[in-house]
Amino acid sequence: MVLNNKKVNIFLLIIGIILFIFLPRFISGYWVRVITTIFMYAVISQGINLMSGYMGYLPFGNAMFFGIGAYVTAIGMSKGLPFLVVVPLAAITAILFSIIFGLPVLRLRGHYFAIATIGISGALLSVVQNATEITGGAMGTTLPIIDKSPEITYNYFYLAMLALMVITTLTIYLVIKSKFGFGIRSIKANEEAANSMGINTTYHKVTAWAISALFTSIAGALYAYWMSFIGPEEVFDVMIAVNTIVIMLIGGAGSILGPIIGAFVIELFSEVVWSSFLEYHLAVLGITIIIIVFFVPKGITGTIADFVKKRELRLRKKVSV
Amino acid sequence: MGENNIILKIKTLSKHFGALKAVDEVSFEVKKGEIVGLIGPNGAGKTTLTNLVTGASPKTAGKVIFKDLDISNLKPYQIARNGLTRTFQVVKPLIGMTVEENVLVGSLFGRDKRNTDMKNASKRAREIIKLVGLESKKDSSVSDITLPDLKKMEFARVLAMEPEVLFLDEVMAGLNPAEVEEASILVKRVRREKELTIVYIEHIMKAVMGISDRIVVLHHGRKIVEGTPQEVVNNSAVIEAYLGKRYTKEVNNEG
Repeated sequence: MVLNNKKVNIFLLIIGIILFIFLPRFISGYWVRVITTIFMYAVISQGINLMSGYMGYLPFGNAMFFGIGAYVTAIGMSKGLPFLVVVPLAAITAILFSIIFGLPVLRLRGHYFAIATIGISGALLSVVQNATEITGGAMGTTLPIIDKSPEITYNYFYLAMLALMVITTLTIYLVIKSKFGFGIRSIKANEEAANSMGINTTYHKVTAWAISALFTSIAGALYAYWMSFIGPEEVFDVMIAVNTIVIMLIGGAGSILGPIIGAFVIELFSEVVWSSFLEYHLAVLGITIIIIVFFVPKGITGTIADFVKKRELRLRKKVSV
Repeated sequence: MGENNIILKIKTLSKHFGALKAVDEVSFEVKKGEIVGLIGPNGAGKTTLTNLVTGASPKTAGKVIFKDLDISNLKPYQIARNGLTRTFQVVKPLIGMTVEENVLVGSLFGRDKRNTDMKNASKRAREIIKLVGLESKKDSSVSDITLPDLKKMEFARVLAMEPEVLFLDEVMAGLNPAEVEEASILVKRVRREKELTIVYIEHIMKAVMGISDRIVVLHHGRKIVEGTPQEVVNNSAVIEAYLGKRYTKEVNNEG
């Protein structure tokens, strides 16, 4: 073979990115917004993938970082700060929260951690709802509207969200391939063994959550500016985490492209099918989770990888015979 | 041998679970380069003692001094980075990774590995896989290999951490006699090559006799005897602990 797999993959990825950059020219504004949402879900799901798919800690309350990102952006911009100044502020705030809560909560394992994060997320929602003077309370709050045509604005957010998804995915890919990545994968495999092998598990867990918080909060910041109106129940919604967990499971937990593939499958599926029976949305979601867990536990990417592996083995056997 | 030769000092170490004294004021020392056998019947407190020394569980009382450093209150990963490490009685492979990746984790995070890069770590991992004879299995998932291979993998993983003192917790458990023989030879060879100090935990006395310089016997959490393998096998307290009082007389009469 002249081309190795890695080169082919990089080439395909670049082609894919270029196609996505030019896609809005060929589709309606409605679909531009749908795909922007898909990118956003992929980013949030990628943050959950790092924590859960790679490290084994399911962050059920990760929507809180989305909410923090959205609210810091809303408050900052209402004080007249430009968006590009507010985004780093939102990210830093989210990272600080992940460290402050992570140090105690990441001592809990399994379901206990998942439940504790839901608790924190709920508490933050309450604070935002009641701190009316700063946040606008339960009524929500508005952001400055961009003074351009809607089409240009939506294209701008499409590209920004695409860029965020690409940067998030690349960063997490590099993190996973690094020494740090081996550390967090060891934690998922066996935390006690990891600790005995010289891995500072607390440091790894908190840092991983901070990375997860970083990207989730930027997605929240972009979302707030994009919508130009946000409410607390909307951006601190536990369903954001539930949706992105399903996306990760469908795409393939612990696979770098899993969240992206999952986001496309789930969101396009929901666009086409669920719009016809909206009331059953949650039921369908629940049944989907059960089906995945029982029948395709490795998700789309994992199942394809297994299939390819099996075929290679079969081919190799044939050759050796 | 001078005081300087002592690499590990365990001082009146205790662990109580309520009224149960799992480890009760155990003290002993380990000299650099020796193999100390730590034996005792099931439930004697050997694994608990290992957990205390390596920081895996908090101690009720006592101290552990490693290379003149008090490690009593350090976390397991800090103790491992200082060069004291262990294997587990029940193997704890990193599921979802290959044999090579498991060993790589050891060589990435073990002793003085703060500045290790991937390339050097991978190179060392491969060398050690070769040393323990797992080359043909290096790309296998740890879920697909046999128990003897898992034990070899775990041994390779701790070796990759480049420890100075190694606690081997019943590495022979579950192996058949031929495999025990092979493993003993491996441990002896590696210990010479790597100048390791080993605390060798076993409840099968036979396995530990041939390999140890000195033996510490635990019973009901207390140290009952310490001495050379010869001294220990002939000690009536040890015979009593293993076989019961009735046999003490018989063995003594025959002897």
